[in-house]
Parts: sequence; C-alpha cells; structure tokens
Amino acid sequence: MTERGFGMAEGVSSLLVWSLAALLALWLGLLLAEGRGRRVPLWVTFSGLATALLVAAAVLRPTRVTSRGSELFPKVVVLLDRSWRLGLKAGEQTREQVELDALHALQKQLKHARVEVLGFGEGAPAPFVESQAGSAERPTDSDLTSALRALSAAPGERPKALVVVSDGRLSSPNENATTETLRQLGTRLGVPIHTVKLAENGLPDASIRRVATTGAAVAHQKIALQLTVGCSGGLACDELPITVEELLHGEPPALLAQGNAKVQGGLATVELPFTLDRAGRRLVRVRLDAPAGDRVPENNLRLLTFDVTRERVRLLHVAGRPTYDVRALRMWLKADESIDLIAFFILRTNTDAMQADESELALIPFPVDELFTEHLPSFDAVILQDIDAVEYKLERHLPALARYVRAGGGLIMVGGPSAFLGGGYAGSPLAEVLPTTLPEHEPPFDTASFEPRTTQAGRAAPTLRGVRELLGDELPQMQGSNTLGPLRPGAIALWEHPDRRAGGAAMPVLALGESGDGRAIALGVDGTHLLQWSELGERGAGRAYGALWEGLVGWLMRDPRYESARIDLAHECRVGAPVELSITRLPGTAADVKVTLERLGENASGAPPLPEKRLHMEGNVETANLALGVLDEGGYSAIVHIGSAPPARFDFACERGGAAFADSRPDPSLLDRIAEETGGVSLRAADAGRLKAPPATHVASQRLVAPLLPAWLWALFAASGIGAHWYARRRAGLV
Amino acid sequence: MLSGLAALVSARTAHAFGDVGAFDPRVVVTGGKRLAAPRSAGPSGWSMELINRTSAPARLVPREVGLDKPELCYEPFALWAGDGDVGGLSVAERRGLLKFIRLGGVLVVDDSNPAQGAFGRSVRRELLRVLPESPPVRLDPSHVLYKTFYIVDRPVGRVLGPPTIDAIVRGKNAQVLLLQHDLLGALARSEEGGFSLETEPQSYEQRQHAIRFAVNIAMYVLCSDYKDDQVHAPFLMRRRAPAR
Repeated sequence: MTERGFGMAEGVSSLLVWSLAALLALWLGLLLAEGRGRRVPLWVTFSGLATALLVAAAVLRPTRVTSRGSELFPKVVVLLDRSWRLGLKAGEQTREQVELDALHALQKQLKHARVEVLGFGEGAPAPFVESQAGSAERPTDSDLTSALRALSAAPGERPKALVVVSDGRLSSPNENATTETLRQLGTRLGVPIHTVKLAENGLPDASIRRVATTGAAVAHQKIALQLTVGCSGGLACDELPITVEELLHGEPPALLAQGNAKVQGGLATVELPFTLDRAGRRLVRVRLDAPAGDRVPENNLRLLTFDVTRERVRLLHVAGRPTYDVRALRMWLKADESIDLIAFFILRTNTDAMQADESELALIPFPVDELFTEHLPSFDAVILQDIDAVEYKLERHLPALARYVRAGGGLIMVGGPSAFLGGGYAGSPLAEVLPTTLPEHEPPFDTASFEPRTTQAGRAAPTLRGVRELLGDELPQMQGSNTLGPLRPGAIALWEHPDRRAGGAAMPVLALGESGDGRAIALGVDGTHLLQWSELGERGAGRAYGALWEGLVGWLMRDPRYESARIDLAHECRVGAPVELSITRLPGTAADVKVTLERLGENASGAPPLPEKRLHMEGNVETANLALGVLDEGGYSAIVHIGSAPPARFDFACERGGAAFADSRPDPSLLDRIAEETGGVSLRAADAGRLKAPPATHVASQRLVAPLLPAWLWALFAASGIGAHWYARRRAGLV
Repeated sequence: MLSGLAALVSARTAHAFGDVGAFDPRVVVTGGKRLAAPRSAGPSGWSMELINRTSAPARLVPREVGLDKPELCYEPFALWAGDGDVGGLSVAERRGLLKFIRLGGVLVVDDSNPAQGAFGRSVRRELLRVLPESPPVRLDPSHVLYKTFYIVDRPVGRVLGPPTIDAIVRGKNAQVLLLQHDLLGALARSEEGGFSLETEPQSYEQRQHAIRFAVNIAMYVLCSDYKDDQVHAPFLMRRRAPAR
C-alpha cells in the first residue's frame, strides 16, 4: 500500500519553522496595518503576501513524500474464563460449550485483528489451546484482576482491546466491586474491556455456597464448620438438613454433626461443631438435602480434606507387669515432650502377698472398663505390653479395641509371656487387626535365644533407618520369642526369626500392617531394651533403643519421615477428568511401584475393585507421576508400595464441582458494569460476532522524499518576488 | 511359708522368656572388695520379696558386676553396699560408672555401717569426682520413691537411720540413691530362711517397713515416676488424707 504527502527539506528545524511563522505573521500584520492607514492598493498588499510565501518556500524548500507500507491489524486479547465452574449448564449446553461457540464467533468477526486467546482463572493467564480444553488442571476461581495485572506487567506489544468471555461469577472483582475498582481494570492497560456473557439466568439451585472453619484442625479438639447455604433460581427453600460425616477406610461413614439451614432471603448460615480424633489427612463429607426441583445436584455435596495436626501424641501404655523393657519404653515415651502419656501397669496379681492393708498401698484398680470404653477414642495409639487379656478383664473390650484400630487408631502389641497367644488374644477380634495371624494351637512362646534378622523390607523401611545407621544389621540377642503366625495380606515383616517358621516363611518378629484406617505393629520379643542395655546397645551409646521406638511410633502416627514415599495429587481430583498421583521417594535403587486404590466410606464394600497401577522408578528418579485415570465422586485411599518397603497411604477426595460449583448463578450485570466503566461493550454470547474490531495501524516499510523544485529556483522566485513587490510599492508611491 | 514362697518363685522362673527384663539387684564390686556375708544374701532376699509381693519378675541369684566391666551397662540397676572406705576408684571404674549413669542407670548406695559412715562418705567423695556437676540433694518427702508401691513415710532399713535420703538427680530422675539405713541388712536371710540380722530397734514393723521401702526402690527402678502420673494423683491424695 502506497501513501503520498508533502514535507519540508531535511535540516529544517522546528525552531526555524516557528521563527518563520512568527516573521510571516508580523509581516502580514504590518501589511494590513499599512493598507488601512495609507489606503494602499490591494495589489500591493497581495504582492507583499505572495513575496512572503515565496520567501518562506525558499527557506523551507517543500518536498514530496511517497510512503510504501502495510496495514497492521490490531492486537486483541480474548480472555476466556477457564474455571471448572463453566461445566455448569447454561440452557441446554454447558457454559463451556457456549464459551467455545462465542470464541469461534469472535475469531470469525475479528479476522482483521490479531487475536490472542488466553485462559484466566488463578494468577497469570495462560495461552488457551482448544484441543486441551478438557484438561483436569482447571482452576476453581475466576480471578480477572490478577489476570489483567499480569497482562499489564508482561513485556511486548499492548493490545488495542480486551474481550472477557465469562459467566460473570468472578472471584475478583466480585459482585460487590465498586465503580472505581471496575474502572481501574481498564486503566491498567489503557484499553476498553469488552465482555461476552455466557449465561443470563441461573437454574433453580440449592447449594453449599461456602465452607469455612474457625482455626486449624487439631486432633481431639472441636472445630466449627461454618456453612453458607444458598437457594436461587426460584427454588423454594425453607429448612434444609445438613449432615457432616467422616469417610473411613473399609467402614461406613462416621456421623460427625447434623443441623438445619434455615433459608431466609435466599441465604442461610449454619455452624456445625465436631471433633476429629485421628490426625493426618481426614476426609469429611458435607451433604445438603436439597428440596425437589433442584436442577444442580452437583453442589449439594462437598468432600473436604482436613490435615489434622496433633498438639501432642496421646498414647495409652498398658503393661502386664513392670520389667526393664517396660521401664525403657516408659522412660523413652516420657522423655519425648510431644507425647502425652497415660500409663497403667499391673503391679500386683491376685496371688501376690503384699502383707499390708489396702490403705498402705499406692495402688489403684486397673480402670479397664473406663479406659477401653469412655476414653479409648481420645488416644492416638495404644501400646499393650505383655498383658494378659483374660486375667485383667481386657478380653471383653477387644472388639472395641479392634474397631478403634479400624477407625484410625494405632496399636502396638509388645511381646512377653502374656502377649499374643500367651495373653489370650488368639481368635479374638483384636487378632484380626494385628499384622500377623495368631496360630491358636501352638505354644505361646519359645525360650531359645536368637538374634532377629532384618528382612529386605526392614532394610528398605525408613522405620528402621535410625537403628540400622547405629548398629548396621546387628541386633541384640533376644531371650525367646512369642509365637506369631504368617503375615496378613498387605502386612510387612521388618524382623524375622532365623530358625522358627510361620507357614512357609520365616516367623515374623517385628511386623507392621494397616487395618482399616489404623495401623498396628506386632513385636514378638520382650527385649528391645537391650538396644540400650547390652554390649551392642552400649556400642550405639544406648541411642538405638530410642531410634527404634521413634521409628515405630512415627510410622504408627503416619509421621512423613517414616513413610516410604511422599504422595500428593498432581492437581485437584475432579469427576470426569483424569487424575495423577505425584510420588516422591528417597532416590536409591531402582524400584517397582505398585499403587492400589480403595474407596473410602460406604462405597467400599459394594463397588467393584479399582485396577492396580504400576510404575518403575530408576535409581536416580526421585519423583514420578502416575496416571490413575478418571474417578467417580468420592473419597479414595491410594496405597503405594515402593519395592519391598512398607506401603505409604494417601487419602484424597474427588468432587464433581467442589468450590467451583458452589454458586451456580451467572452474574451478567457484573460484566455489563465492567464494559461500561472501561469504555467497552457488553454482548450476549449469541451476539459475540457483532463485536467491532479496533482500527488497523499503517506501518511504513519505504519512504521516498523528493524536492518539489530545486533550491536555487525557490531562491530565484523569492528574489523575483521581493523585486516585484519593491516595484509595486514604488508605483504606489510608498517608497 | 518359705516352701510356699519357693514354689511360687520356681513357678515364676520356669521360663527364660520374660526374665530378660527382670529386676536384678546386681552388687557392685570395686577394688576386688566383695560384699561380705550375711549381707551378700540381701540382694536375693530383695528379689524374693519383690516376687512375693508384686507382679514384677526378679532374679533370685543376682550377679556381681565390676564398675570397670562392660557388663555394668548391660542392665539399668546396680547396688553398691559396704561398711568401710572404698578407697579411690580407678580410672576405668570411674569411666564405667559415668557411662552407666549417663545411660540412665540407677545406683543404690547402701551403707552397711551407717553409725560409722565411712562407706557412705567415701562413696560420696568418689561420686563427686565422677559427677562433679551433680552433687547429692535431699529428696523431698513427696518424691515418688515413697509411693511407687507402698505408701511409706520415710526410708527405713535394718537401722532406722535419718528420715530422709540424699540422691543425685539428673534431669527429672533420681539416679543415685544414697542410703544410710543398711537396707541389705534388713533383707538378708540365712539359709534356714530366717532374717540374718536383727533390726535396730528390734521390731517386726521396722522389718516390714524396710522391706516395703526396698520394694518401692525396685518399683522405682522398674517404673520410674509412674506413680507421679496425673491419673494417680487424686487417688493417692485421698488415700493419704486419713493418715494425716
């Protein structure tokens, strides 16, 4: 494209132009004043004017400018709302489908513009690739403010216009934003913001709009769940029942709290206090019973993940008789400030002759009923050390203790003549949660001394890392062992007997296992204190004992230091979108990774088993992602086996919409206001094709400058003009 | 009665499994000086009383252990008794004793001749060389040692002795108990089964109180401050109240 025009010779400064203009004006003024005062003929005045112009031309030397170039189409940025919320309906289609249609219409309409399509949600906007529109990594929020802030800070060409395509339910600016706030959105980039509204009217919907808690979740301490319930779209709501349950492993959901939301003016708030007894990741399901006519059932249920911490680990230590082994364990537990220890030791039996009146004894009755009924849920773990369940009336509480473990409690059974078979635990419900079976018809223990052998799993387990760092593979000589049966499915033996057999394998001496939501440890010896008080213990300055128990209690309490892997979701899990696990382990030898998925809560029994996933990690690989596929709504437990190490567990929730679906109402008025305050236009999605593109910009690629006349000719004309004017003035008698 | 006790003891000691953590009042030997009869029978008498009166297992044939021997650190309890000046400990003995204390062991020092006090003074002197930063302090009458099994008001041995005991306390634990009551003298039995030495003043009650105190020491070794736990406090407060 060619453009033509006029200019001035090179080297003519603006100062010269202005000076010349001032002289011409002065000259013109003098001519006019002279003409009025002396009755000067008109042709003299005209000749003066012509002379002035010729002098000016001689000074400026006019040129002809020919410019060749092209029209640059304006840059237009289209910001698409990428929140998972756009999966909600807008009429017959989802809002996302409407959004894509609107985008296509915009691209067609703005064919004379350079359109850059970005998706916004949380933080800086990212290029939108339509083929990846169904990606699982979708944000919950729609933060337009952050997106515009990032755009304005980015280097490069600024857009001439912005088009925001959304349903208007923005997290920032939100419906309460002031006019000034909205105006500032446009001033960041200095361009108008046009908006395209994906939905105008909301569906009839009762939903859990907002979930908040007061303070952090701490085990055994009340936490208040503050719920905001909304009712919109013409749905009639009055009192809506709400149920809060904890999803457990292999157990039906445990009821935590119930309440009613009394809806007034479309909104209700309700506070439901509850207590979570177990620390770690706990999944809580909040269910709203919506009235008939609710068209958006996806937001009636929320699955919340609480990372429950402990102020202190609350342990119950029950021992059947005082020994050096009991002493060592008690002293280690008491020395740890993070442990709140409740201990009960049987100090006398019915056959002991105390030779004293009861009032002279500092003994209290073993509060077995109180401990194992009323107070049991308050403990994080129970240690049963060499205690006879039958003699001390613990037997009738074993079913409750087994339930306690399945519900997330920890259990360590420490050996001795009255532990395991010797304590009447074989065939009891508690035996079902131990990591090994208890063979009922075998001698309860063996008195042959032996040195436990660390298994391959024991060498890989972080639980024994501390002991092995101090003592290597050596362990003290134990004076006998309890009889333990083969491992239960999923359990791991860390120490085994070098001579005794259980089933077809070496008899486990130290075994770890999961049962329901809880963990259990079977330790079939009564001499771990020899890790402190023995020749070998002395070699490690007595620290091996603490290292062992720190590992055991740490594993029982799911301390991440003693897990074989750190597991997390690569992104939020949502129904219908593929989910990935991120698995991090200490690099070392190459290992096969096996992940089994189990459903938490009521679906556990009826649902079909989920397929196993496998992965191979090379020795130098620390973190790997494993695709789990597409999951249904619910709570899940991923059990990750890395090589022969004890499995690590990770509980997570998969929601249909989660917080993104909480408020299904579109907000077209907010989009109208944004467009109005920034100088843009607001269009319905169907009218997106009517948006006018900004004008194009001409960009020159070649510029030719040629003088209109040679400079000497301009000078000749100017001199001739001056001469002619002098002659005219003489004729008029002015000179 | 003794035959019954013996039967009970034999029944409890039939299996080795479970005995590895049994209370073992090992007698410390220093400079080749061994505990003389009749008090050399005191440790087994102590074990027998513990077995008969409590659920705790104990070794009826306690061993001897040298302060300079590695075996000192194979168990968390030792008993150092005598009636004369122990002389200066060798470097190896001092090192062994220090290691034992640092591991968390409990040592009972029992002066068999408290009237003279030479043994007690010499042991204190040597302990000060080993643990100069931990001088003995008087144990408060509310210390857990007085309520680990029996509720006792004061320390008692063969002799009535002072109403309090001194101890070397490290952290929260009394690790060295310094007795001036000839406790082993009260516990020692002859081969016939009777007590070898009369108490001073001579009384059945004093013997019983001495045995109770010995049982409490054993329970302190086995359970540390278990009876100081908050759960026991209200009960023991109620039980002590009528006695006042």
